[in-house]
Amino acid sequence: MKQDSPMMQHLKHAAAWCDHRLGISEVWLPMMRHPVPKSVEGPMGWWYVFGSASLTFLMIQILTGIGLAMVYVPSASEAYESLLYLDYEQPLGWFLRALHYYAGSGMVVMVLVHMTQVFLQGAYKYPRELTWVVGVFLLLCVLGMFFSGQILRWDPDAYWGLAVAGSMAGRVPFLGPVIVHTLLGGDIIGGESLSRFFTLHVFVIPGALLGLLAVHLWLVLRCGVSKPPRPGESVDPRTYDAEYEQELKNGVPFLGEAMVKDMLFSALATIVVVLIASILGPKGPTDPPLPTMGGANPRPEWPFLWIFAMLALSPRDVETFIMLVFPVVVIVILVLVPFVSNRGERSPSRRPVAVLVVIVTYTALGVLTYLGATAPWSPKMHAWTGDAIPVSMVERSNVSELVGSTVFQYKNCRNCHALDGIGGRRGPDLTDVGTRLTRDQLIDQVSNGTPGGGLMPAFGKQITPAEMTILVDFLVSLRPEGTKPAGWATPEPSLGEAPPQAAASTDDRDET
Amino acid sequence: MRHAAVTYGAALAAMLAAGCGYTPPGKPNPADRPRTPAQITDFDFLFQQNCTGCHGDDGKFGPAPPLNDPIFLAIVPDAELLDVITNGRDGTPMPAFARRLEGPLEEDQIKIIAEGLKKHWKSSKLSEDKLPPYTVAAKDEATSTADTEAGKKVFARACASCHGDNGQGSSEGHKPGRINDPDLLSLMSNQTLRRIIITGRPDLGMPSFAEDDGRPGDYQPLTSEEIDALVALLASWRNQPRSGATVTLNVRK
Repeated sequence: MKQDSPMMQHLKHAAAWCDHRLGISEVWLPMMRHPVPKSVEGPMGWWYVFGSASLTFLMIQILTGIGLAMVYVPSASEAYESLLYLDYEQPLGWFLRALHYYAGSGMVVMVLVHMTQVFLQGAYKYPRELTWVVGVFLLLCVLGMFFSGQILRWDPDAYWGLAVAGSMAGRVPFLGPVIVHTLLGGDIIGGESLSRFFTLHVFVIPGALLGLLAVHLWLVLRCGVSKPPRPGESVDPRTYDAEYEQELKNGVPFLGEAMVKDMLFSALATIVVVLIASILGPKGPTDPPLPTMGGANPRPEWPFLWIFAMLALSPRDVETFIMLVFPVVVIVILVLVPFVSNRGERSPSRRPVAVLVVIVTYTALGVLTYLGATAPWSPKMHAWTGDAIPVSMVERSNVSELVGSTVFQYKNCRNCHALDGIGGRRGPDLTDVGTRLTRDQLIDQVSNGTPGGGLMPAFGKQITPAEMTILVDFLVSLRPEGTKPAGWATPEPSLGEAPPQAAASTDDRDET
Repeated sequence: MRHAAVTYGAALAAMLAAGCGYTPPGKPNPADRPRTPAQITDFDFLFQQNCTGCHGDDGKFGPAPPLNDPIFLAIVPDAELLDVITNGRDGTPMPAFARRLEGPLEEDQIKIIAEGLKKHWKSSKLSEDKLPPYTVAAKDEATSTADTEAGKKVFARACASCHGDNGQGSSEGHKPGRINDPDLLSLMSNQTLRRIIITGRPDLGMPSFAEDDGRPGDYQPLTSEEIDALVALLASWRNQPRSGATVTLNVRK
């Protein structure tokens, strides 16, 4: 046997010294080699990769976050400019921002997929209840990171996001003002608010997240990886531990195929995120942070669009409930899941209620997120000057209808009402309104708005009689070529010549 | 073997070189750098956001008079364009765009639009000298009976074939509808009337002051005085009693 060189001997000695002090081969290696159920090696093992992918994204977030923090200036006067510097001047600064955004989004997706898998396969049942509960709080931390991260962009989305968060918090009984003051660092949104959210995003929430993550990982080691479920194998807390111990006797070390699966999937997820980041680029910042800008069109980040839609579509009376009670109810339900059902079947094929809950929840979230993204209830502030009247309408209009359509634009009708699908969506599309409402009904609707203080404001005091006449000429003309206006009565032969009612009702204006 | 190594090496070098010059689609384009509304100085963007709603995409085929109109751009004085965009036209749907009048634009942006209209769309083939002057004689509504009478004669010659003998509309040809409507005329200034008579609506088929489409065979281009007489006639219809057409507002308390 060849003798090691003195240099090699020294190195080996130093390594042994470190190993002895750190306990790597005594504690850490056995931990990495801890046995997992044998069937994890099979195709079912691919269900177990989402947690580690979330962890991989967390690592990317920490690294890119450190990079960003070196350039970002958390001050109200410079934050926005420092992001523009990253986007347009700092070499690859834009990529750092894009990766931070999409890896963060990926983390939310992976955490949700991971939780859904654990829920569907009943992996939260005895003895892994606490692992699930800690996971719920980890999800809250990840969402907290997303929200506080959006605020750091300090653009109109951030400013108004903060305004909404502040006014939501202000509705908490008794403690509202104190919470708002603590959150914003004052009574109004200002530089202090940005410092608060920077602290939350960089120290407080990551600290909590890493702490909870340590507990979560320890629980995974302590309780072991759940066996992939099979129909008919049910969990009974009285016998589970012995069964699981037996299972592990035939188990395989984690530091083997299971880890290879984790690494392969994490690598794939990372490649996907890097590609998305380099193709789509950084998110925002949008317009400069000017709270006075009337045309601002703020939106919350995608994980919150569903609640944005829910708030916008609910009656005013239930707003406070949705803001304050509903989230608490959701969190409590999530926390209670493993306590409500911690025994019995684990396979999704034997748990139709669980499958149904997942389908209904994701359908509702999907629909609400779509609505939140399109936000048809928001007026389109530039439609009146920026969205042209469709050429087909202009070409078929007479002079009054032409001028009527300029009154339509001038009075900002277009900001809420689309023509041929273009314009605001808050009110109905008026492309065919001439077939639905008579001249009198149109005048009443424009003058008085929606009865009972509904969506449409009353324009009666902001419009001259001449403008009203001409505007309604245009509205009555909005109908397919060759159709009669609404309320047009066909003369019955037995009654002789009945006058057309719509045309004669208010005046003698040309309806043809 | 060596040959293959050289080939692979060259291919690798080429790929690396291409990689260095490659810009990923996600890299922000400096042209998209966010600006405050006041920082926008690009004519196309300003026009699209502020004018197309009424004047149409590309300045024509909108309900309001086209701005992309060679005769209009040949005769309209620069100062008039600046003034109308800044202050709007009182009583008509043309709003004031200056920020000091609660409009959305800064003065230099208004200047960019006013100057940009001619830069973009003015034709060098048309000479202002051969066209009637833009500015109307009577900006206010005061007109003499003599003007109105002269106007009626011009109307019969130049307008009646499409607009009816008294501007009540005609079913022939295009669909111009009724133009003797006091409500309609109250929303159009004398200056706009003169401009439309001179330029017509080339995008919608209304002939200019000089074209004889749909007009009698012996039609001669209108003179500046004749155009003013027509404006006087139309202005006099503005003051007619309304034929029961006026809307009574029904504002609920």
